[in-house]
Amino acid sequence: MGEVWREVIVDSFNKFLGKVATFLPNLLAMVTILIIGFLIAWIVKKFIFRFLKAIQLDKVSERWGLAEELSKRGLTYSPAILLSRFFYWVIVLITLIMGINALDVPATQNFIAHFFNYLPHLFAAILILIVGYLIALFLGQATLIAAVNAQMESAKILSRAVRWFIIILSLTMTLYHLGIAEKVIVAAFSITFGGIILALAIAFGWGGRELARDFLERLYKRKEKGKEGPDHLSHV
Amino acid sequence: MEKSFQIQLDEIREADILVGVPSYNNAQTIGHVVRAVMAGLAKYFPKAKAVLVNSDGGSKDGTQEEVKRVQIEDFKTILTSHPVHPLSKIVTPYHGIPGKGSAFRTIFEAAASLRAKACAVLDSDLRSITPEWMELLLRPVYEEGFDYVAPLYGRHKFDGTITNSIVYPLTRALYGKRIRQPIGGDFGFSGKLAGFYLTQEVWETDVARFGIDIWMTTLAIAEGYRVCQSYLGAKIHDAKDPGSDLGPMFTQVVSSVYGMMGKYQPLWKEVKETQAVPTFGFHYEVGLEPVSVNIERMVGNFRLGVKDLMELWGKTLSHETAHWLESISRLSDEAFLFPQDLWVRIIYDFAMTYHKGSIHRDHLLKSMIPLYLGKVASFVKENMRSSANEVEEGIESLCKVFEEMKPYLIEGWEK
Repeated sequence: MGEVWREVIVDSFNKFLGKVATFLPNLLAMVTILIIGFLIAWIVKKFIFRFLKAIQLDKVSERWGLAEELSKRGLTYSPAILLSRFFYWVIVLITLIMGINALDVPATQNFIAHFFNYLPHLFAAILILIVGYLIALFLGQATLIAAVNAQMESAKILSRAVRWFIIILSLTMTLYHLGIAEKVIVAAFSITFGGIILALAIAFGWGGRELARDFLERLYKRKEKGKEGPDHLSHV
Repeated sequence: MEKSFQIQLDEIREADILVGVPSYNNAQTIGHVVRAVMAGLAKYFPKAKAVLVNSDGGSKDGTQEEVKRVQIEDFKTILTSHPVHPLSKIVTPYHGIPGKGSAFRTIFEAAASLRAKACAVLDSDLRSITPEWMELLLRPVYEEGFDYVAPLYGRHKFDGTITNSIVYPLTRALYGKRIRQPIGGDFGFSGKLAGFYLTQEVWETDVARFGIDIWMTTLAIAEGYRVCQSYLGAKIHDAKDPGSDLGPMFTQVVSSVYGMMGKYQPLWKEVKETQAVPTFGFHYEVGLEPVSVNIERMVGNFRLGVKDLMELWGKTLSHETAHWLESISRLSDEAFLFPQDLWVRIIYDFAMTYHKGSIHRDHLLKSMIPLYLGKVASFVKENMRSSANEVEEGIESLCKVFEEMKPYLIEGWEK
């Protein structure tokens, strides 16, 4: 009985030692990956920050109104710092996942494979979002200035409409690209904008008949008035 | 350069005088301009070998045919002698960005190719040009050794508002030369200066459009060429809707002025006082067509700008300036007044922001238009009953404010 007992204990101890012996190199690999990964992340962060400073990203984003938008939302860091930190954390995340993968735990293998397949989509989606937002800011401002110069009283509303249209469009594209409820997104987008156009058509065509008539009359009268005495200033 | 154009230039080989006329759909007026050029050259430069180059932007109304068709059958009827060398005419399309500057580039190329001694460029929509303009624009270069002749016109007191409120006072304060019409459109220049213009890499910028005039004037001053001006009389040009051109015209001209400020900052920072430039021609009073102005519309545009663009202007203007603008936007139409020092501060603030590039430059310049219209409305209102001389005094006082406030510009330029 004692012999059997001893064999069982020794056997299980050997098995444990065997597992430790198998696991230990993986653990060491994970630690090494983490150290190297964090080091690379830090170097990349510094490199990207210097590169973005060299190409004057902060100045460009200030020109495009992005810096102001970030500051309005409480982000006091410059776009160069934000982007360099973003890449730092992406590399840290990848390092952590690679570290976990190095442990060779079967449960995580599938998840990691999915993650790496999904990563390019994630980057593309973030890019779409950033570019879309920049375009929205730029075109919103361009619309505002053009509408003011065209003496449109509703210049600000028009500018906001353009801006939000592009933001929603880029958000839709981002979600579609990420494969999140693709059909629902497309349907929601179509319904929303179809609804807006229909609402405007009904509002102007029915509810605002008098208003539209009044507007056209005033426009016509103004043109008639304009014919009588337009500016003849030569500006140069 | 177009091959057929080069062939024509090669056939002529060289010329003493070259006159360039840029055009785009000017069939109604270009005939008169060409006749005046032919008569002027025959009368004042009968022995010179002269060439007229029409640089056209693809007119569809027969402008090019009109230039080829126009002749003076009997020079005696206009009291001129027959020229020894008949005038050669070249009609050519220009290439590059559509605009006046690209048309001028073709004229400069012709001047360089023909090794012309003296050149002149004339607007093709002029109705008041006379043969004497040729003498006034060309003789200072051809015989007096000047390199650049700017025009000096008799204009309606409300005409040339970008010139009077921005370009003239700013150029004068910056570079120290009192050239009254730096963007007049009709200039004389030496072949040497034309060659220098050609060496500049600016033909993809606003210089290729309406920015060309101030670019030519500024370069001539800043590069130390001998500059003068000639009194040409009245400037009357073809009637068109100025409102339709204001946006691009304003942004291209101001962009060119501000762009040059960046290039020549070491020079203008050192300029402390202004000097008159030699002036040719006989000054006389001219009768001018009345100009109608809609002040209400301009003030309305200014108020709309204050309401909707203040957020954008706030990135350029100080709090004090912004408050000042808001307070004048609340004035009634009758009391509306745009103070000179406020205007100068705005022009300098926008110049600094343009230089720093912290706002998209096209947006920055377009957003200035309501401010400019506010200033013009105030100017028209103030001078409704003033004589031309009184208006000129007002412009002189604005120039003084630009000069007095120059330290403000210098101080803020590198901040």
